[in-house]
Amino acid sequence: MNRHDQPNRGRLRLRLLAAAGAAALTLTAGLATPLNPAPQQAQAKGSQQATESKKEGKKVLTVAVAQSVDSLSPFLASRLLSTSIHRLMYEYLTNYDPADNHTVPGLATKWEPSADKLTWTYTIRSNSKWSDGQQATAQDAAWTFNKMMTDQGAATANGSFVTNFRKVTAPSPTQLVIELKKPQATMGALDVPIVPQHIWEKVKDFSKFNNDQSFPIVGNGPFVLTAYKADSYVRLKPNKTFWRGAPKFDELVFKYFKDQDAAVAALRKGEVSFVAGSPALTPAQAASLKGEPNIKVNDAPGRRFYALATNPGAQAKDGKHFGDGAESLLNQKVRQALFMAIDRKTLIDKVFQGHAVEGAGYIPPRFSTYHWKPSASQELAYDPAKAAQLLDAAGYKKNADGKRVEKNGKPIDYRILCHATDPNDKAVGQYVKEWFGKLGIGVTLNCLDNVTDPWLAGKYDLAFDGWSVNPDPDFVLSIHTCGALPATPKDTGATDNFICDKKYDELYDQQLAEYDTAKRADLVKQMESRLYDTGYMNVMAYPNAVEAYRTDQIKSIETMPKAAGNIYGQDGYWSWWSAVPADASGASSDGSSSTGVIIGIVAGVVALVGVGAFFAMRRRATAEDRE
Amino acid sequence: MTTTESDGPMTTEATPQVATVGPRTLAWQRRRHSAVRFWRQYRTHRAGVFGLAALSLFALIALTAPLTVGSDVQSVTGAPGGPMESPSARFPLGTDQFGRNLLGLVVWGARVSLLVGLLAAVLSVAIGALIGITAGHFRGWYATVIMRITDWFLVMPTLVLAIALMTVMSRSIGTIILAIGVTTWPTTARLVRAQTLAVESRPYIERAKALGGGHWHIMSRHVLPNVMPLVLAQTTLIISSAILAEATLAFLGLGDPTVVSWGGLLQDAREAGAVSAGKWWYLVPPGVAIAVVALAFTLCGRAVESVLNPKLGVTR
Amino acid sequence: MTAEATPSLVEATDGPAQAGPSVRGPRARTTTAYLRYVAGKLGGAAVSLLAVLVTSFFLFRLIPGDPVKYMTGGRQVSAGQLAHYREEFGLDLPLWQQFTDYCGKALTGDLGTSYQFRAPVIDKISEALPNTLLLTGTAFVLYTALGIFLGTRSAWRAGGTSDRLNTGLALTLYSIPSFWLGLLLIIVFSVGMGPIPGLFPTGGMESGGKEGFAYVLDVAHHLILPVVTLVAVEYGQTLLVTRSALLDEMGSDYLTTARAKGLRDDLVRRRHAVPNALLPTVTLIFINLGRTVAGVILVETVFSWPGLGGLFYQALSVPDLPLVQGLFFVFASAVIVMNTLADLIYPLLDPRVGR
Repeated sequence: MNRHDQPNRGRLRLRLLAAAGAAALTLTAGLATPLNPAPQQAQAKGSQQATESKKEGKKVLTVAVAQSVDSLSPFLASRLLSTSIHRLMYEYLTNYDPADNHTVPGLATKWEPSADKLTWTYTIRSNSKWSDGQQATAQDAAWTFNKMMTDQGAATANGSFVTNFRKVTAPSPTQLVIELKKPQATMGALDVPIVPQHIWEKVKDFSKFNNDQSFPIVGNGPFVLTAYKADSYVRLKPNKTFWRGAPKFDELVFKYFKDQDAAVAALRKGEVSFVAGSPALTPAQAASLKGEPNIKVNDAPGRRFYALATNPGAQAKDGKHFGDGAESLLNQKVRQALFMAIDRKTLIDKVFQGHAVEGAGYIPPRFSTYHWKPSASQELAYDPAKAAQLLDAAGYKKNADGKRVEKNGKPIDYRILCHATDPNDKAVGQYVKEWFGKLGIGVTLNCLDNVTDPWLAGKYDLAFDGWSVNPDPDFVLSIHTCGALPATPKDTGATDNFICDKKYDELYDQQLAEYDTAKRADLVKQMESRLYDTGYMNVMAYPNAVEAYRTDQIKSIETMPKAAGNIYGQDGYWSWWSAVPADASGASSDGSSSTGVIIGIVAGVVALVGVGAFFAMRRRATAEDRE
Repeated sequence: MTTTESDGPMTTEATPQVATVGPRTLAWQRRRHSAVRFWRQYRTHRAGVFGLAALSLFALIALTAPLTVGSDVQSVTGAPGGPMESPSARFPLGTDQFGRNLLGLVVWGARVSLLVGLLAAVLSVAIGALIGITAGHFRGWYATVIMRITDWFLVMPTLVLAIALMTVMSRSIGTIILAIGVTTWPTTARLVRAQTLAVESRPYIERAKALGGGHWHIMSRHVLPNVMPLVLAQTTLIISSAILAEATLAFLGLGDPTVVSWGGLLQDAREAGAVSAGKWWYLVPPGVAIAVVALAFTLCGRAVESVLNPKLGVTR
Repeated sequence: MTAEATPSLVEATDGPAQAGPSVRGPRARTTTAYLRYVAGKLGGAAVSLLAVLVTSFFLFRLIPGDPVKYMTGGRQVSAGQLAHYREEFGLDLPLWQQFTDYCGKALTGDLGTSYQFRAPVIDKISEALPNTLLLTGTAFVLYTALGIFLGTRSAWRAGGTSDRLNTGLALTLYSIPSFWLGLLLIIVFSVGMGPIPGLFPTGGMESGGKEGFAYVLDVAHHLILPVVTLVAVEYGQTLLVTRSALLDEMGSDYLTTARAKGLRDDLVRRRHAVPNALLPTVTLIFINLGRTVAGVILVETVFSWPGLGGLFYQALSVPDLPLVQGLFFVFASAVIVMNTLADLIYPLLDPRVGR
């Protein structure tokens, strides 16, 4: 610890000095300060190579993103941007087919379970090399998994993948053997970046190492990360020896925009090639971009569901109840009445303005294997009159003021947890408030930056909820099992919403042990049906992934699924790996045309300041003279 | 504005109720006179008159909003238009993302913005006046401690502190008022304390003390009336910055999303992507409204200040 | 009187005004007295910094949210892992012990480790600080120069058309929310509107991939709109203070005497009035600089500038306590340092001293 303190103290003093010196900051002197020593070095290396290729008309693919990188270490990163970049830097054991999401080879070419379903053997390909020239082997994979199983710090991001592992070994460079504690159907979906052992075994503290010290970062994915500046950009170069074939752009840049409007404007001007919404472009932005020449708006079915979750009476595994969810919500009829009070179609039309699909079952239609829809008789369609009847029948009648009351006589007033950073939550919340109001139910929108705390404490009645669903639905299903509940009210469980339903759990266990895809899909659909009937999760919409790119910079790019799929945040590296640059005319992201403008403006400012100073001095001088 | 000087002897603690009608009426008369005099001087400040006129107009708009636009204008389910329509005969300022009438929303938003600005300023000045008067009156360790705290608050970056407070508490209008109120009072406290010290050094305070006037009596009957002009001017000026602060906090997404306010409208516009879509009519009216009202309060405050205390603000 | 135009102006003139009398005496006597005064001010500043350090710790403990739960939110974590995090960040210790640890480390320049970035807070701050300083520094130089220049002109021709126009414009711009002005500038000059093409980048600090002079130009290009926004909303304050200070000064007795001695009017102004009147302005300048660092949050948000403001907002929503505390400390100490500097420089500049 003490060793670290020394440089820090020096740095602090330096910074304080810098702060004190700010008064003396002038325009020109100021311009030199934003360069940070460390990133600058990193950048220098990256741009050295950049200058080499600039002469041949470098094709740069610039992606505007709304997230900043939390960590470049695959053991720590949890944000979508970071994990997407890890997909590009490191090869995973398996990948998903861009056409229909089925598992395809990655670093592993083949994977098979033993007869007792407890041992999986992976064949590792021999044509994948780390970018420093060393061979990627089964030993690297085994080391990565073992590290996650033994070091808490290394288990931060992906620890859940290895909880069921008993032992991981690499009997030969091309053979990886994983022994399990229990059968697990998801062994083809281990979304864990495999890192080079010879680099990472030098890391001392995994919980603090952010993998941003030396560039380029050694990897074996389709791209190699060459430069990174926090809150600014990530730059990647194609891996020319990538076994599936090298990407076609000369450089891939992820540029951070805090403000989505700024990103859209940058796209319009050609400063960036692609804009990923966070999580989607707004209807107004999409509409305004649609008319632009050379811009294509990709409005694809999303992988997320958007739901209104109900507090089912928060409880822990030890049976203790906690939180303060409304009593009336424990009644299934009430929950179903709330389903019927929400006009999902209007939400699609007004809030999403057509950029979403009306919600039904838990898993979005994009994952056709597992998607489920209620039958006409099972469906809880929008019907406020019937909702009112259900509430009356359940004993929640209106009082003299037209308000429905709890069993204890108090008027019902549901607190809805909403994310202050999500415009959709606020918009949908206002509709829900008015619809519920007509039924005689009060609503308070509790919009917070950080909803985690009241959520985990069970201190809410309803909450806006949404998850991105993976090709393998295991994770989003697991978060509604009793096993995911916290051990005690003080602990944190993986549970999404404190749901604990015996029937659902039985089905969950069955599907996890079922290695036959068709049979497993059937079990998953039964689970979705059960979840729908309980009324705990009102899936209102599947928002589309609305994104846009410049056709004069990107000639073609692969979507996932191939027919009407998304580009940013795919399960795999398909989009950026497959992107083909447009012919010479485009890719004007260098913005050399604007250089003239800048020079003019800077010259103007300098001249203005100069003239001002001149006059000021002359006046003083004359005053001096006259005396 | 030293009319209260004569109040001293007549309302000693022993006989506040039995004071004869005569002197009291006299005092009232004197106050009325000074009010008339005040208005006459105020009228000469053209900018102040303009500010007052603008304020009256906005106050009228805000107060009559329930009659002119009605609370239905906020309803999203009953929105009359399509999303983000450009200005037309039906919607003079266009519509918002839900298809609500923007003109109606700006009018309705005036209620919240003005209310928050007013209450926050009153809270801020009330805290400042209380602390300033007590610190000026009691001296000693109390004053030392309280002025240390004031100085400390003065150093705190107001916006940063307000954001932090908003994060700690739940999102509501009350929270915004509180956050603005408790972060902006130190200025007033220092000014009021200086004024209090000046007032208390006058001989008639000595007389009042000799006649048995207690702390409460001195502070409420002598000091308070004398710092009132300062407090009034200060309130007007702080309202202006409180309205800006409300807009800022709402814009940063710290407001109550179900309440229509000018800052909230700007935040909605930005989140809906109005900026890059070039829908300027969604952004311009709320911003203009904020600027005009803030300017009007500043102009009024400057005019009030220069009328009441021409020497105020000269480096002492 | 106009010094009171805005609440913050009052603070500006108030501090040193109080310091004034206490200074004048000692300075007049000896340099040692001045040094003692300096020591006192520095001591006061140190106490204030310490107080800020202490408060930031307790203030931000009030923020609801368990950082460990945030860090592991949505992921399956074993009890062991949770305990590991609590231990790693010292959250398993009692509050008082966390506090003493925090203070001890802070004194050695270690502000802790950011929860969300898992990097030392001091590193995150040092990454963002130069960017913020570049933005605020440039804007500061420009608006101070502009404010003093226009303020002086206004006072010379007080009551004239140009004065009224200047003062009116300054007050109007001062009443405009900075973020709104920024958004409008983006719509008009970045997105482009009608015949105006999108001249400037919409946000960020650099396009990336540039070196040398091209890089400097690129940053300058990105800098223009945010600087214009800051200058527009800030210069009014300096203008008004300069103007009113100058007007006050021009009415004072010694100037009348000077004039009576037969000195020419504009000479009196330049030799006597302006230097004296600049005093409150100098104070304001320093205090403004301290405040701009914190006040830049909005402009940084609108223009996606990778500075401290954006970092603060990012940190608060987690809440990333060590980072929030560190930033709060930086913001507050910027004001303290600048206030102290103003206090120290004030007596040196005061021409009335010794008269």
